[in-house]
Amino acid sequence: MDFAFTPEEERFRQELKEFLRRELPEWWRGMFVHDDRVFPQTRRFCQELAERGWLTMAWPPEHGGQNASVWKQAILREEMWAHEEPRGPQYMNLNYIGPCIMRYGTEEQKRRFLPPMAKGTVIWTQGFSEPEAGSDLASVRTRAEEVADGFVVNGQKIWSSYADAPADWCFLLVRTDPSAPKHRGLSVLLVDMRTPGITVRPIDSMAGPHELNEIFFDDVKVPRNCLLGEKNRGWEIVTAGLAFERAGIARYARAGRVIELLTEYVQQTHCDGQPLAANLDVRRKLAELRVRYEAARLLNYRAISLQARGQVPVVEASIARLHNTQLEQLVGHVGMEILGLGGLLTHADPQAPLSGSVYRQWVRNIPTTIAAGTLEIQKNIIAAQGLGLPRQR
Amino acid sequence: MDLHLSPEQTLLVESARSFLSRVWSLERTRAIEASPSGFDRHLWLQMAELGWLGIALPQGFGGSEQTFLEATLLLEEMGRALLPSPFVPCVVVAAPLVQALGSAEQQRRWLPLIAAGRAIATLALVEPGWRDEWRRPEVRALREGTRLRLRGRKCFVPYAESADLTIVAVTIEGEGPSVLAIDREIPGCSYSRLDTFGGEPQFDMEFDVAVPATTLLGKPGEAGAEIDNACQRAMVASLAFMVGASERVLEMTVEYAKTRSQFGRPIGSFQAVAHRCVDMRSDIDALRYLVYQAAWNIASGKVDALEVAAAKAYGNEALRRIYMNAHQVHGAIGFSMEYDLQLFTRRAKAVELQWGSTSFHLERVAARMGLE
Ligand SMILES: Cc1cc2nc3c(=O)[nH]c(=O)nc-3n(C[C@H](O)[C@H](O)[C@H](O)COP(=O)(O)OP(=O)(O)OC[C@H]3O[C@@H](n4cnc5c(N)ncnc54)[C@H](O)[C@@H]3O)c2cc1C
Repeated sequence: MDFAFTPEEERFRQELKEFLRRELPEWWRGMFVHDDRVFPQTRRFCQELAERGWLTMAWPPEHGGQNASVWKQAILREEMWAHEEPRGPQYMNLNYIGPCIMRYGTEEQKRRFLPPMAKGTVIWTQGFSEPEAGSDLASVRTRAEEVADGFVVNGQKIWSSYADAPADWCFLLVRTDPSAPKHRGLSVLLVDMRTPGITVRPIDSMAGPHELNEIFFDDVKVPRNCLLGEKNRGWEIVTAGLAFERAGIARYARAGRVIELLTEYVQQTHCDGQPLAANLDVRRKLAELRVRYEAARLLNYRAISLQARGQVPVVEASIARLHNTQLEQLVGHVGMEILGLGGLLTHADPQAPLSGSVYRQWVRNIPTTIAAGTLEIQKNIIAAQGLGLPRQR
Repeated sequence: MDLHLSPEQTLLVESARSFLSRVWSLERTRAIEASPSGFDRHLWLQMAELGWLGIALPQGFGGSEQTFLEATLLLEEMGRALLPSPFVPCVVVAAPLVQALGSAEQQRRWLPLIAAGRAIATLALVEPGWRDEWRRPEVRALREGTRLRLRGRKCFVPYAESADLTIVAVTIEGEGPSVLAIDREIPGCSYSRLDTFGGEPQFDMEFDVAVPATTLLGKPGEAGAEIDNACQRAMVASLAFMVGASERVLEMTVEYAKTRSQFGRPIGSFQAVAHRCVDMRSDIDALRYLVYQAAWNIASGKVDALEVAAAKAYGNEALRRIYMNAHQVHGAIGFSMEYDLQLFTRRAKAVELQWGSTSFHLERVAARMGLE
């Protein structure tokens, strides 16, 4: 056992921190704000990362990566998430879309799709959920009918983040065989979002724009060479993709950053002639957040340790996610409680304490136990696969 | 002991519910939230006609001579309808302050206007940097001959821009906490709207003005206890609003759990989902009776009771749980602005942040338990 990073890893973290200080503009508040500078900024940022070899550092050299250790990847993810994900939508390319193409794609697809990801020039959106297919993802209805030169897609996706960025490509789950049992009639198509017949309707979320969209497909022609993996074997790809996705976000790191901001805040803020940091309740509450942060971080590190040995943590990733998401929510609630009345101000108000970071922490994380597999679904996975309990559905 | 409403109270609640369901809708809540004044003046006048705006005022001022408990029952219905209005600052906070502290002339001037819906009143209490309302004002007023020079800043003043009467909490040099009744006509106050999420317009106010000493409400230096009482009323009233709002959210959530299907069955048939709905039910029930008990204590003059603090100490945590449960059951749709749940969630969070944290009220409870 060793609970420390190596000096080289620590140096890497410092380098990243300095890079972020230099590259992130003062106005950066994450993606979910009404500001036209957001997506150009994320593209610029990814290209800067790419130039330093950091963007796809986890990938094998033949696809523009450096085979970086899982721990270095973890450090990168932590620093990115802690700074409100300056890579923007492109974190998804690195976490699961690229890896899925590497694993299931043809040589031609790898040559076509991976280099733009490695250069940081392409935005992908995820087209999985549908109005009637949320937790029960395998029941998607969006239909892809096979025709002579490919597929014709009709149907509707919902909740697709960043589709309005605008996204260049969609990682789309479709039904190719309606007569097969539901898990066996699905396929994944890689769809050019500029194809005629595609309409994107943005849906404002409580946190702001861009996080939720509907995508409508009306006789959309998709060439055969955009089918990923085998036809009707899409469920396997999606399951692998979701497992990569769950492990791919260092959610505890943003919580950790907000705890740091709050720690500075209570030392600088005076109440009744004393720093807020002297208030016993505030101290205990912040300390409790820190303890839960330690727990979440360790459970993430356990999953990463398994990856470092070449194993695929499934149950462990779900347990880490339970801790991550509930920590994020708790930090939002306790942070708001510490601010008190000042917490009423949104980040749009120049007087908002900590530039509205705590408000954003609260509002953004309302659905963090819903996105990418709900808390209940995570628990079902742990119960069935981790504890061997009989399945209930 | 009897935890039932009286026949008169039942009638009040039923007529309020049927009136509000006729005239109000959540689409109107959305529209009014986006408007500059943040409330519907026409409806405000109708509320006056129903006797709501003078609910606890004597008949001599055009009031209905009910108690704070009846005001609370009305607020529960307004919460169910999610009706934004200055009812709390005007009717629950300001009018009783004028009644408790004002001279006969001040009472005659303002109370009939408030009861008739023709004057909006609000309280300017909070100052920059305050975490909650339970503090002594630090904005100073200095005597300048027969006038008082008021200089300073107040924030989180609800509906300030619409207010005809702003009650400003100040400390008069050498005399102590006092309240001034500042008329809209008096120049020297400027407003700016704050960007808040709670669905109620909140303002920053800057004062640099010399007002006649006749604007004082009550004796200088003696307003501390009445300000405290006003805060207790506002706190319980806001919780009552959230009880009604949460009841509506529970109905929405249960309906959703019955009609939304995943894996070929209604999600409400999954125990994990059903139990969240049950937790909401039990939290709302507990909160409702804590609020009634608090309101009853206030109506009986026991404003400082343990029972009053208990309502907020429980309410803060209960509101968090209720709204997290509602969102969890709804899945992604509950996070969209198009769906109505967010209208309720934002208000619940705002009520939690106002009128004191859990630990503040637990301390009050501890003190009233006799813990040294
Ligand atoms: C912020 C955000 C971003 C998102 N981004 C994307 C995206 O980019 N692309 C995309 O395709 N999708 C995206 N989603 C959708 C997300 O994957 C779904 O919201 C999620 O899978 C849940 O589906 P649902 O919202 O339909 O809820 P439902 O599945 O309807 O669930 C409702 C409730 O029922 C419970 N429930 C359901 N089944 C069971 C069960 N078997 N046992 C116990 N409880 C159960 C759930 O836990 C939940 O509490 C996003 C969602 C959010 C909130």
